[in-house]
Amino acid sequence: MRKIVALLTICSPLLIQAQGFQVSLQGQKQQAMAGAGTALMADGASLFYNPGGVSFLKKNSFSIGVTPVISHAKYADESSATVSQTNSPASFPFTAYMVFGRPASRLKYGVAVYTPFGSAIEWEKGWTGRFAVTRSELTTIYFQPTVSYKISEKVGIGAGFVYGYGKVNFERDIPITDNKGDYSSAKLEGTGNGFGFNAGIYYKSSERVSFGLTYRSEVKMNLDKGKATFTVPATLASSFPSGNFTASVPMPQIITFGTALKPCNNLTFVFDASMIGWKSFDTLAFDYETNTSELPDTKSPRNYKNAFSYRLGAEYSINKKIDARTGIKLLVSPIQDGYVTPEVPDATHVNYSAGLGYNMGRGMNIDLSFTFQSMKRKDTNIETQMSGTYKTYIFMPGISFNYNF
Amino acid sequence: MKKIINTSVLAVSVSLVFFSCKPEIDLPVATKGNVDVSKYVAIGNSMSAGYSDNALYHNAQLMAYPNLMAQQFSQISGGAFKQPMVNAGSVGIGSYLNSQLILAPSVDCQGIISLAPKYLADKGDLTIFGASVAAQGPFNNMSVPGLKSVTAIYPGYGNPANGTGNFNPYFTRMAADPATASILSEAAGQAPTFFSLSVGNDDVLAYAISGGTSDAITPSAGPAGMGFDASVDVIINTLTANGAKGAIANVPGLTSIPYFTTVPFNGLLLDQANADALTAAYSPLGITFQPGKNGFIIEDANAPGGMRKSVDGEMILLSVPQDSLKCNGWGSMKPIPNQYVLTANEVTEISNAITSYNSKLQAIAIEKGLAYVDVSAFMNKVKTGIVYNGVSLKTEFVTGGTFSLDGVNLTPIGNALLANEFIKAINSTYGSTIPQLNATKYKGISFP
Repeated sequence: MRKIVALLTICSPLLIQAQGFQVSLQGQKQQAMAGAGTALMADGASLFYNPGGVSFLKKNSFSIGVTPVISHAKYADESSATVSQTNSPASFPFTAYMVFGRPASRLKYGVAVYTPFGSAIEWEKGWTGRFAVTRSELTTIYFQPTVSYKISEKVGIGAGFVYGYGKVNFERDIPITDNKGDYSSAKLEGTGNGFGFNAGIYYKSSERVSFGLTYRSEVKMNLDKGKATFTVPATLASSFPSGNFTASVPMPQIITFGTALKPCNNLTFVFDASMIGWKSFDTLAFDYETNTSELPDTKSPRNYKNAFSYRLGAEYSINKKIDARTGIKLLVSPIQDGYVTPEVPDATHVNYSAGLGYNMGRGMNIDLSFTFQSMKRKDTNIETQMSGTYKTYIFMPGISFNYNF
Repeated sequence: MKKIINTSVLAVSVSLVFFSCKPEIDLPVATKGNVDVSKYVAIGNSMSAGYSDNALYHNAQLMAYPNLMAQQFSQISGGAFKQPMVNAGSVGIGSYLNSQLILAPSVDCQGIISLAPKYLADKGDLTIFGASVAAQGPFNNMSVPGLKSVTAIYPGYGNPANGTGNFNPYFTRMAADPATASILSEAAGQAPTFFSLSVGNDDVLAYAISGGTSDAITPSAGPAGMGFDASVDVIINTLTANGAKGAIANVPGLTSIPYFTTVPFNGLLLDQANADALTAAYSPLGITFQPGKNGFIIEDANAPGGMRKSVDGEMILLSVPQDSLKCNGWGSMKPIPNQYVLTANEVTEISNAITSYNSKLQAIAIEKGLAYVDVSAFMNKVKTGIVYNGVSLKTEFVTGGTFSLDGVNLTPIGNALLANEFIKAINSTYGSTIPQLNATKYKGISFP
């Protein structure tokens, strides 16, 4: 495995960079195989992974799943050797997929609901980076009605319209104290939405080999009526007027190429490579409706780079009822040195995953997966001058129920 | 079924334990290198003593940078660090027998309400000078407000019998033997293994703060007790006699201290009519005014009529009464009195003295292998603006966050960052790895 990783590193010059707040938890079967599934038509999650192949699904289906995300991060401030930790709340990215169409028809329809981007991090009270962030939460939910058409027995195409809904909460302390010694704080929250699409081609070369290519467009989440609340000493209240703000956060475009190989009937290998267009996240800007000399509009540089991910997975059918799956993926961080922020302490990292599928009969399946992610990153942020090391563990156990009819 | 439940409960329990695994980050170990800080004694002036907001008070003493350094020294087996504490809750005592300053809304002569420094009480806590705390000594922090290089070696520096102005009551209250002891003798008597020395500031500041009207700049030359260089030699030779290591701070320039930079020399804003009227009024002296910014009219005995326009490089002091500027014609109709102004000549005298002091301090640090803390360079960096863990700091009065309400001494975060400068210099000189302070734990100015 090390060899493969080494090879990938050589192939891609961008690997020294870093994966932002992408949440790759869109189907338990695929998650167990490192999130590869562009060329494998396994279930309704293909509405996300490759709409082009949905027309090849043999049955109509309905599935729901959830993957609790439990994360622990620590930060060691370089100069003072002070360690701070997170008390982040668990988050619960979920999925719901429905695929339907007449069995004989070349056309299939589907509706997908999933959470492609997000993050939730809360640092302990009074931590060294409190003036950068104390709490940050981003939730996105995409609704994707989809049509898939089987052109021939080998080729399928499909596309879905995406409506994205986003919710943002960002809190930090302000280094101004009142007479009791309490620090001031800022809380920014809001909801927004945006539009995009998800399109793909599926090519089934033979019973043993297939390919997939997908493009998921950028969705610009526009927060038009965010609410900014400032808690400051009474005499400074007019300098920090609470009120509305606008902001825009891009959810990047993603191009994925995938392949699936079936060397024998009970063994499948899948491989996906993606380019994620993080380059569009160059600035996090907050435009306050009421500006004062103390409260100008802020433009915080992010300068993310486009980044690649590589996913390799395998599925082995132990018997007619049980499938075992495993996978490994390499995620290159889109965050350049000098731009790591404590709300997304991202680093280039390797994820490990495994899972089981259980066929209960009568068209019912249960799939379980587990993914573990460990990241470490040392950086000096050019904006806040925070200099230190982040280390993060993320545990992602998931479950889904499938009903095929 | 029972078996399945048991297995599930076990699986969930194991998972929960596993999911609560937290990452560990290896931290650098604090090492002492070749410095022994088991007995640390600090000698310095107001800033080292924990004088802030124009008074010595309890909370400011806790934030004195030598005390903060001692906290970090505890990680490399540093000993206890005793200070001559003022009672908690006391309003403190300043050099004008005043209390500490706080920021409070105040109404100016034009009826405009704004935040300004205000004394916390009508007068300072005189019991501080009335009662000796010497019984709690000896004190590791042998810093007293107003200390100069020349007075640090002066025997009987705390002797009231010398008469007002010839003894230092801040030393009297803490000296074991005020009648005969010097700061240096009481410091050296503790046989420190490590010392910090910050002298030179008050060798120019007492003069500078009075606009050059009282006190005098300590000359570099002259015998110990008269001249700066020889006095520093005595201090360092005495302290290092038994092989003690130490850190020597240099003296920051006036341009990084808000007391001297807050009121601009050309703060006289005029419209055309007022400029014309003043030009007419001052025509006998040949002084002209134009619309916009003008140099304030200041006293100068050498100028015709004893007054002239202030020029670039001159300093109007923070002590100048703002109401007199705004409503009583100071700086326009009447000259600003000498005690609120440093003229170009005075600024040059002071700058030259500081340059000379600093070359002496650096030379002796090099000669004795002591850590040299370039406070001057650090303050110049703060002047252009620094960012520390998301906190922006500058040297501007109040808003800069570094200097306390007296415009000369530091806020807690200013002290913490200064302590970090000492620690950096000590680490690089002695090969130690003492962690710096987490300065985000220390406040700037508090607002009502």
